[in-house]
Parts: sequence; C-alpha cells; structure tokens
Amino acid sequence: MHPTAFTPAKPRPLTDIEFCAWIGQAMPGDRLEYHRGFLGIDATAVISTLPEPDRRRLGALASAAHRAFEAALVHLVQVRVGPDRFAYLAIARTKPRHAPIPLSQLIATEEAA
Amino acid sequence: MFPPISPADLATLIDEAAFAASRLHRKLVLPAADLDDLRQDLLLDLICRLPGFDARRGSIGAFANIVLRNQSSRIAIRHHRQRRAQGGTVISLDAPISGGTEPLGCVQAEADGLATWHGQDRSAVEDAESHHDLARALGDLPDDMRGLCAALGTCAVPEIVSRIGISRSALYRHIARLRLDLAMRGLGAEWDGSKAA
Repeated sequence: MHPTAFTPAKPRPLTDIEFCAWIGQAMPGDRLEYHRGFLGIDATAVISTLPEPDRRRLGALASAAHRAFEAALVHLVQVRVGPDRFAYLAIARTKPRHAPIPLSQLIATEEAA
Repeated sequence: MFPPISPADLATLIDEAAFAASRLHRKLVLPAADLDDLRQDLLLDLICRLPGFDARRGSIGAFANIVLRNQSSRIAIRHHRQRRAQGGTVISLDAPISGGTEPLGCVQAEADGLATWHGQDRSAVEDAESHHDLARALGDLPDDMRGLCAALGTCAVPEIVSRIGISRSALYRHIARLRLDLAMRGLGAEWDGSKAA
C-alpha cells in the first residue's frame, strides 16, 4: 500500500487521544505531522512560548508519541523546515504481532495470582 | 388459613377476571395476543388477595369486582406511563404491523431490534469480532497495563487502590495511559481526519 500524502500541521492542534486513535487506524507507511516548531522547547515549562494549556497538551502528545514509538507502532522523525523549526512526523509501522490474550483468561490469571 | 375455595366460587373468579381483562384490553387498545396475559395477571392478583375476602361483608363476586377494578386501574396507569415513555405508541413483538401477517419479532433484523433502540446494536458477529480485537490488543499491551486491565475487570477503584497501594489520582493517571494504549491498538477512540482538519 502506498503511503498517504504528507499531512501538514493542522490549524486545530492534535490531542494525545486523537494521535493514538490515528495510530490505531493507520496503515503501515501512513504519516502524520503532529507538531511543527521546536518540540523540546515548546513542551518545556518556563521556556515555552505557548500558552499553558497548549503546552500541557503538547507535552501529553509528545509523551504519547514516545510511548507509541517504544511500543514499535510508529517511527518518529523530524524534518527541518527552517532555523530552529521542525515538522515532527509519525510514520505508522507494521503492527507487532503478539499472541492474543482473551480478557476472561487475563482475569482468571489475575485472580489466581 | 383461608378455607379451600369452592368450584362455584372459583368459576366466579375466573369469569370476573376474564370479563375485566376483556374490558381493559378493549380500553387500552392492545394487540389480541395480550388478552391472555392480562387475564392471567388479573386472576393471579385476585387469587393472591383472596385471604382478605370476608364473606360477611359481601359476595365473592363483589369482592372480585373491586379487586379487579383496582388492579385494572394499576395496569392501565403503568401502561400509559410506558406508552408516554415510548413516544405515544406501544408496539408488540408478537403482533404484526401495518397490514403485515408476520409478527414484528419475526420480520426485524437483529440490528433493528429492541436492544438497538436502547443503544445496544450488537450482533453475535460483532461481539465475536470485538472479543477478538480486545484479545489481540491485550496481547500487545505492556505487562503493567495488562495487569491494570485485569484488575479493572474484577475490582472497583477503591479495592485496586488499597491492593496496589497507590493513590487514587495515580491510579486515574494509569487509567488515562491505558486508554491511550488501547486507542493506539484500535480500541475505544476513532480518528476522523476531516474533524482534525
């Protein structure tokens, strides 16, 4: 499957749950720009120029992106678009395959422990 | 104990119940299939109230008449309340609608059933697929989140807090993270590109 077209940063900023929902539905190769700017600065208190609610939202989004990366669900890359300015991209990976665990079995194991 | 009822009195009760049921059935404009249910409900209520019958105060027919009238009134009130709650109409699954011959219950698809009206538009196939999706997502979850899922499946929040020994706010943070983990695996949240634009 061909990757979808490059998705530029949207006027309405993404939330962490929207980002995770995108991962849940993305096909391998799909990409999403989840932030444009300088993430390390924009998400850090005191030095960020963003309003506090936006900074908190961005921090949660960055954490979710990192968590998805650690779960091998996405590649995280950045593209320089200017001095101290980057487009942060998530590229969907093939979903890792683990053995399914039925909820009933999980609960039974938990109760036995 | 109330003495055994004579066959003649029993026949009176049955006749009175049948008459009251027909009258109520006509007043409420119910489907024909509901007549037997009404008759049985009224007769059962009447028999339950027989210990209150005092022969010195009147005949058993008069007693039955008063009891049946009161119970009919209660059924009618309940029926009107249900009818108001359902937008003014009552539809029976056992009765055909709009000139058809098959009962409504036989012509409705699973997705059109009563459960659908109450937001439970699930079929057996969808349930099986959900179970499979959930099992796959649980298999992919990190161990700590899987344990939290199992705990949430069996315990209330206060019990989990006391068992794990964390604060309630910390537990809710874990649950928020679990929500994200499940969303990443396709459960619980939907991405709508047009809304995000």
